Amino acid sequence: MRKYIIPIFAIFQKDFKSELRTRYALNALAMFVVTTISIILFAIANETPSYEILAGILWIIIFFSAMSGMARTFVSEEEKNTVMTLHTITTPVTVYFGKFLFNLILLIVINSFSIILYMLLMPNFEIKSPDIFIVTLALGTFGLASTSTIIAAIIAKSNTKGTLYPVLSFPILLPLLLVVIKATKLALEGEIFSKALPDFQVMLAYFVVITAGSYLLFDYIWKD
Amino acid sequence: MVYKIILGIGLTITIIAGLSFPMVEIPRFWYEMPIVPGLEDKARIIFFHVPTAWVSVIAFISSLYFGIKYLRNSEYTNDIKSVTAASLGFLFCILATITGAIWAKFSWGTYWNWDPRQTSIFILLLIYGAYFALRSSIENEEKKATLSAVYSIIAGLTVPFFIFIMPRIVASLHPDPIINPQAKIHMNPTMLIIFLLSLIGFTGIYIWMFTLKVKFSILNYSKKMKEQE
Amino acid sequence: MEFLQNNSLYIVLIITIICWLGIFIYLLNLDKKIKKLEKDIKNN
Repeated sequence: MRKYIIPIFAIFQKDFKSELRTRYALNALAMFVVTTISIILFAIANETPSYEILAGILWIIIFFSAMSGMARTFVSEEEKNTVMTLHTITTPVTVYFGKFLFNLILLIVINSFSIILYMLLMPNFEIKSPDIFIVTLALGTFGLASTSTIIAAIIAKSNTKGTLYPVLSFPILLPLLLVVIKATKLALEGEIFSKALPDFQVMLAYFVVITAGSYLLFDYIWKD
Repeated sequence: MVYKIILGIGLTITIIAGLSFPMVEIPRFWYEMPIVPGLEDKARIIFFHVPTAWVSVIAFISSLYFGIKYLRNSEYTNDIKSVTAASLGFLFCILATITGAIWAKFSWGTYWNWDPRQTSIFILLLIYGAYFALRSSIENEEKKATLSAVYSIIAGLTVPFFIFIMPRIVASLHPDPIINPQAKIHMNPTMLIIFLLSLIGFTGIYIWMFTLKVKFSILNYSKKMKEQE
Repeated sequence: MEFLQNNSLYIVLIITIICWLGIFIYLLNLDKKIKKLEKDIKNN
């Protein structure tokens, strides 16, 4: 077990350090979230949006900030010509999980930021069942991180990287998005925990299936 | 050759039967079909729309199958088969969407109302679209084949989720004659036979078009190889 | 003629049959052509 975990953490640390040094993703993403929320605030003006719309908008913000933040996961390696180095020193599985871990942490930071901002600024956004909300957010973030890592690996080899990313991710993420939006709506309505249980099962199953699939298929993407 | 003639005649008979057999209150003769309340003649869409949707699903699965095969042995013919299946699937998917939308206009009142069935076919269209967008943006042939195979497998992994999720989110108005036992359309034997014949016929056309396109692509590929030499 | 005017379903039937036969004959021709091409390339 140690044999796998240490190199995974090494990859994670490498990305984390370079991120801290440049703050490339974090700064841009924070601004992205602020801009999006203010546009939405202008658009809804004095209306009080329904729970359905609030839940939908929240996940639209999370989806697109993930799409703009995760796109560079593997592209940066290609640009800096560090792919060969990674090829020689580690196994594909390590690279995948290292990158997944970094994306997960980045998503957690960005999601907490957007949710705090969202709670402060959105009228009518009151979480009546925090337990449902937290589990939804956690499982949704895991699924999002897993899918965005594997799609980022696919697009790194293509010519039109940035534009292709949301196009490829959307059909894959749609089942997850539909369920998390529904569960978020339940949390806003103040339902009891057990009512959202089937949705959590779907989210968990989604995460497991996508991660297992990525684990099996990453070799093919990574080899040259 | 014989099979193709049989296919041609068979599908012609199916079209004639599907469109001309009279619909009556209580079917008495072998050629009579029951009236479907609320749909009447519009129920005849089942003989043509359902097979197109069926073919697009079959094509998706076979594209997945050849994609996996390609990943295993890196044989270029498997990639050609995978793309061909996907492009035919895309064609039939568009046909199913359009025929469904026209039917929905006259049965439900709108061309598009995000019925679960419409949503799922829309997602299938999106997956196909993304698949071709991905293919067209990679230049290296081997990378193109590998990555698009990987993408179609990942897309295929998410498809089962829709089967669980869709019914939980919205109720469907879509008539469901095969899967659902409390069907809105009562399938009497005459209808069932025509319907099955139509399914077989459409699958036959799909396989025929598939082999033609694969043969053409392989010839094209070998020509390209010769030119490079 | 009058029969067809009263039963427009049969007009649809005729149109569909013509469309299908057109596609079928086209496919049959394409099949023959590709087979011939395959033979020619193999012989060369």
